[in-house]
Amino acid sequence: MTQTRIPIHIANKRAFVWDVEDLVKLRSQHHICGILVGTLPHLSQQNVFLGVPLVLMPEEAVLLVEKEIAVLVDDPNAYPEPTPTQLEKWMSEQEYIVQRHQALFEGNLKGNKETKASERAMSEEAVRKRKERELRRQQKALERQNSPLDLNSDERPSSTTVSASAAPAGAVASLPVSAENEENNSSFNVIVPAISSSMEWYSPKGRTFTSIESAKEAGVWDYPSDLHDRARCGVFRDLWEQGYFMGGGIRFGSDYLIYPGDPLRYHSHFAATVIDSPISEIRPMEIVAHGRLGTATKKTHLLCGWDDEKKQVSYFSIEWAGFG
Amino acid sequence: METHPSYPQLSLLVSKYPSTAGSLFQTYNDLLLGKFYNAVKSQQWRDLQIVDLGEPCNRASLQGRRPAHIAVEDVDALLHVVPCFMSETISLSWISDVFKALSNPESIYLAIATEDSSIVYYKLSSGIVKPVV
Repeated sequence: MTQTRIPIHIANKRAFVWDVEDLVKLRSQHHICGILVGTLPHLSQQNVFLGVPLVLMPEEAVLLVEKEIAVLVDDPNAYPEPTPTQLEKWMSEQEYIVQRHQALFEGNLKGNKETKASERAMSEEAVRKRKERELRRQQKALERQNSPLDLNSDERPSSTTVSASAAPAGAVASLPVSAENEENNSSFNVIVPAISSSMEWYSPKGRTFTSIESAKEAGVWDYPSDLHDRARCGVFRDLWEQGYFMGGGIRFGSDYLIYPGDPLRYHSHFAATVIDSPISEIRPMEIVAHGRLGTATKKTHLLCGWDDEKKQVSYFSIEWAGFG
Repeated sequence: METHPSYPQLSLLVSKYPSTAGSLFQTYNDLLLGKFYNAVKSQQWRDLQIVDLGEPCNRASLQGRRPAHIAVEDVDALLHVVPCFMSETISLSWISDVFKALSNPESIYLAIATEDSSIVYYKLSSGIVKPVV
């Protein structure tokens, strides 16, 4: 039976979602938002627009697996060595992409109508000529530098008929390449696919876990590990089951922010703090701090108490009294 | 404390729960006399009474109605004010014991008394209660 559950890719015990379709499903069907953390390699300080991957809070990942919406994939161990055939196919696909980019680039440079130039550039004749030019250039470079074996100079049966999956949707890293020969200075983009399924040798099946316990046993995941973690999971789950969207609460001095609907549409009404047990000590100063901050920001602060024996959550709302 | 005019009303529960007597005394007088040095009768809490919470809370609480001149929704509602000290430690079970002892009201007011005689009041409601817009 094909896996219909959403794969959560675990790397270093963190939960990532790479597929935009899964992201959409998580948000719209399961009201789990996560945080986008992908930025541009050449502008990593830019954080106005962030892309994939999505990072999930450990509580979110645990909930999704327990509700059988997602599975955990031990990603670092899901990439066995590709077979020579697979590698060849992949390399020729990459070549095709590079050539296509260069063709479009040349077409634009000369100011011709893009389609005509690229068609011309992509004709069998042009491709063959370009390959010969490339080979010549590399041989010259080899003679000049006597450098170690360059993969590109291998002779391969050229095949320009490649499957359409050669250009997967994904992040594009721009790498301006300065050719050793001045003849061909056009740059091309190296596409790093966001979704590994475009690589034939990617094998997550053997490294997929359908339960938290099995992932813990395999050493891939370790949350929840103590009472505090269990309390967070319990409270998060209870709030999720009531239909709320949850976000990080650090901006308002709490554990979670609770939204009545999608955070893009609503302000949060509540800021929630997790209390590990009914007998955990609370200082009145905390009530003052939570109450004052909540009221000043038009939110109610919630104390969410987890009872590890009854596996239940109890709620108290704190507000400034308005007098005194 | 014994020489204070309010002592007669408080004496019974002050001697029964000596460790919380200070916060009870502070809060009672704050609500009764308010912040107004003129101590105009209309600016005080009305129908102020002291309630023994019994076991396991082991403290006294206050109940009354807000001053009539302050415009709030349902100004005549009977409110519960539970005094405690800033230096005490409480817990969620402490809070739910108090709610139980008062027969599960919708909300209580926690009066937190401090050493410099200031008191802050925070409303604790049972359950998830949306903020008043």
